[in-house]
Amino acid sequence: MSTDPKFEIDRGTESAEGDLSVRRRLVTYDYRRLGLGISGLFAFLLVWWVVSLSQPAFVLPSPPAVAESFSEEMSSGEMPTALRQSLRHWIPGAVVGTTLGIGTGLALGWSRLLDDIWAPVVRLLRPVPPLALIGFAIAWFGINDTGAAFIIAIGAFWINFYATYGGVESVSTDLLDVARSLGVTGNLGLLRSVVLPAASPEILTGIRTSIGRSWMLVVAAEIFGVPGIGARIQRASNNLQVDTVIAYILLLSLTFLVIDTLFRWIQRRLLRWH
Amino acid sequence: MALGQASGNRLELAGVGKQYDSPGGTVQALADVSFEVSPGEFVCLVGPSGCGKTTLFRIVAGFEQPTTGTVRPERTTEQMNMGIVFQEYHLFPWRTVGGNIRFGMEQLDVAADKQRERTQRLVDLVGLEGFVESYPKSLSGGMKQRVALARALAVDPSLLLMDEPFSAVDAQTRRRLQENILDIHEETQKTVLFVTHDIEEAIKLGDRVVVMEKNPGRIAEVIDIDLSRPRSRTTPAFGDLYERVLDHID
Repeated sequence: MSTDPKFEIDRGTESAEGDLSVRRRLVTYDYRRLGLGISGLFAFLLVWWVVSLSQPAFVLPSPPAVAESFSEEMSSGEMPTALRQSLRHWIPGAVVGTTLGIGTGLALGWSRLLDDIWAPVVRLLRPVPPLALIGFAIAWFGINDTGAAFIIAIGAFWINFYATYGGVESVSTDLLDVARSLGVTGNLGLLRSVVLPAASPEILTGIRTSIGRSWMLVVAAEIFGVPGIGARIQRASNNLQVDTVIAYILLLSLTFLVIDTLFRWIQRRLLRWH
Repeated sequence: MALGQASGNRLELAGVGKQYDSPGGTVQALADVSFEVSPGEFVCLVGPSGCGKTTLFRIVAGFEQPTTGTVRPERTTEQMNMGIVFQEYHLFPWRTVGGNIRFGMEQLDVAADKQRERTQRLVDLVGLEGFVESYPKSLSGGMKQRVALARALAVDPSLLLMDEPFSAVDAQTRRRLQENILDIHEETQKTVLFVTHDIEEAIKLGDRVVVMEKNPGRIAEVIDIDLSRPRSRTTPAFGDLYERVLDHID
């Protein structure tokens, strides 16, 4: 280059020191929140324990009783088995429901034509609770893993569909104009290069919500007799083994916590730019 | 890459008009707009708000069709590269500075090493050294507009089309960006159509200034600016031109 333009830049926002102090503040804030959270947890356990002292075990067992039951179920192998069975419903159900939900959300959010055609059907089907479809699940797939996965997939589908649909609708038309001006042509090109990344915050939030919601559906979907955590809870509950019920509820919570933490980490990495 | 050579076609607008149907009847946004921009020329389009200059910008960009008249070349049908810079930057927030600049080259399937080399040259050209890996959210308005400019230049466009690109930044940044765009124009010899509502900016930058008036939006006058650059608005000649443009706009 013959001329070497020397541009001063307005780097006002780029003070590294400023960045650092913000980060430090965030870290202390996180510790404070962690401390508060832990104390809340202890307060909850304490209240539970105190109340349980005045109640018979089949109404509200004490925390130690639950802990004991938890470790018994663990060492007997019943709990790991139930977890494995439930994951066999949850993983395929959530993956299929999420994929179809995102795909349908992209299609209907992007194409006015498809939206016009399908909007009435969507409105009609939306209020149907997944559990109301248990009859269909049994009729179509039988009382088995596929039937349970089907119920979970339905739940995951709607959450992801609406999250994606909303995300696509809110993509700025200006960004689409920019992409077109830079040579992007066709619906697929625009979807891939602009719509999908622009809607990714909403899509990822949808996935995260559906992870939780479909994990809750695992229990409900198994109550009609497919073995898993839900079935185990049902059985223990029939036998008034409330400590076992709570032990499995704890298992549900802990599993969700692990999966959700993992996903949040992925989400943060993917949305560094956000 | 052809950064240093005159490139591009002549932009021709002939009898361009645009009507909108509104509840209150038909609105004539543009009427019989005709002018040309020669290769390598820097033309500013100035006018009051409501004179249809943004509509005209969108028609030239191919985002809208004119009701009457023609624009040549057409971006959409003739597959020409047009570098477009918007007032509000419109960077892709999920892409880094480098990723934004590369966007158009990726569509053209430019080889990866060539993309890198060209990105580096553009980053140097617009003065964004050290920010290639930054995301737009951490940039100031002026820096975002530099990225948008580099992104537009990356496809080696035959026409650089800018819609009030500097009106969202503060006065000081704006002055600096004006100097930069002149340097870049001198170096790249791009054909530029620059839309603005700022008379001073139009006279400072343009080889010619197309002045528009409103109701309906049409050309009031096309003025050749025969002042040597850099142009100072304190000179009498500048002042005369300013008054001349202002007459149409008031």
